[in-house]
Amino acid sequence: MTAAATRAGAALRPGLPPLLACLGLLACWQALAHLLTTGGMPDAVATFRELPAILGDQEALGDILDSLRRMALGFAIAVALSVPLGLAMGRSRLVASLVNPLLMVSYPVPKAALMPIIMLWLGVGDASKLLVIVLGASLPVIYHAYQGARAVEEKMIWSARAMGMSGASRLLRIVLPAALPEILVGCRTGIVLSLITMVTSEMIARQTGAGNILFNALDMAQYETVYAMILVIGALGIVLDVAFERARAALVGWSDEPDAIGVTAA
Amino acid sequence: MIRAWRSDALVGILPLAALVALWWGIVAAGLAPRALLPSPVAVFGRTLASVADPAFLLHAWATLSRLFAGFLVALVLGVGLGLAGATNRFVGGVLRPVVRILAPVPKIALYPAFVLSLGFGDASKIVLVVADALFPILLATYQGAARVEPKLVWSALAAGTSRRAAVWTVVLPATLPSILTGSRIGLVVACIVVFLAEMITSTDGLGYLLVRAARSFQTVEMFVPLIAISALGLALNGALAALRRRLLAGFPNED
Repeated sequence: MTAAATRAGAALRPGLPPLLACLGLLACWQALAHLLTTGGMPDAVATFRELPAILGDQEALGDILDSLRRMALGFAIAVALSVPLGLAMGRSRLVASLVNPLLMVSYPVPKAALMPIIMLWLGVGDASKLLVIVLGASLPVIYHAYQGARAVEEKMIWSARAMGMSGASRLLRIVLPAALPEILVGCRTGIVLSLITMVTSEMIARQTGAGNILFNALDMAQYETVYAMILVIGALGIVLDVAFERARAALVGWSDEPDAIGVTAA
Repeated sequence: MIRAWRSDALVGILPLAALVALWWGIVAAGLAPRALLPSPVAVFGRTLASVADPAFLLHAWATLSRLFAGFLVALVLGVGLGLAGATNRFVGGVLRPVVRILAPVPKIALYPAFVLSLGFGDASKIVLVVADALFPILLATYQGAARVEPKLVWSALAAGTSRRAAVWTVVLPATLPSILTGSRIGLVVACIVVFLAEMITSTDGLGYLLVRAARSFQTVEMFVPLIAISALGLALNGALAALRRRLLAGFPNED
């Protein structure tokens, strides 16, 4: 009875603690800005006042939307390539031992740091940024799809085989659904990573995009713009994560999943 | 077991070798201009030459020292906060929502703020490394500590251990596997972030070497810092795996 009551209470206000945390962090920022008074740090209120100037500016808004489009496309391509690869690694030891060393070698390399080289080949346009985002978002998805496929109950696969299911349809109808919770954990890390890679790629290839606005403002000492862009990008990260978590809960609510720990940097 | 591992390692060398062979083939067939894709012989030769070059080693040391400073701070903070959050209900109640908000924020976007408040020197880069490496360690510690069998803690308390001492003598050792897993992720993240920070604002370090080479279109030099950071990450990962085997002899291995 008490447990049920607590659960009902928690269900009434599931978003409240993070909201309070958000307000608390903003209050800390406000206090810090007033304590430091170095001039390099505008307070939270001034930054929020700057937001309409950026989001109302056609060009800046277009840039940010362009960035998001690249990010979404890059993430989609990464998932489409990584899930089959990860599943294959999980079901075949040969594939795993072929691919694992490649992943080990590429893990510590910042994917956005490949920008200067990729730009030589593909130019400064969308193609290089897209490729870097795909590379950045792929690793966690591959890794978690691999772990998920490895952990599939062998008996289910044996039963499917005994009932005459072919290899390909076993992968599609047994392994994929069974590994789905784990795959989505990887995707959650991957989507934040694609945002990070998007920002860093635009920071290196200064042409358009959210990262470009942020770092150009830093170079031109427009502090309010810098902090407002940080706010925009940070909010994007939080919104993407929350939205993804909602979608995940709707898709695989049947499996209770531990919080994702992922590599969230590119 | 060992033999199986060896044959796995042998199979694992194949794709790496194939990749380098493909690279060499493309260059040898003249499919790509040298200025865009230098030959692997030139790249690996230059990398080997760099390792003997004191100036290069100084740059590598600058990167490594920032990486270590940031990682160690993140380790202490992450383990401390994670344990406190899992063993104290009040700390946990505050920590969980704050982490939920801060973990998905792209830390690299905070870098300009760190630069503006801490300057262009080492401090802002180290703080960025801390901000990025902290969360994997913190989350792993918290989850590991929350899963510790409560009966172990109860027995320690019943045997007269104080609550505080039980955290150090029971919860911390039981959480060690998770802490090491989180540290491994944190270390890779630290490698990535320190390199990026050096690419943005720096006068030394491996990231700076890449930017400098890119500015003057020295393609061969552009590959060297990338190979160096990859090797550095592999070496650190290997060291951590060795530490894990030592500390957790008898625990099931993770890969």
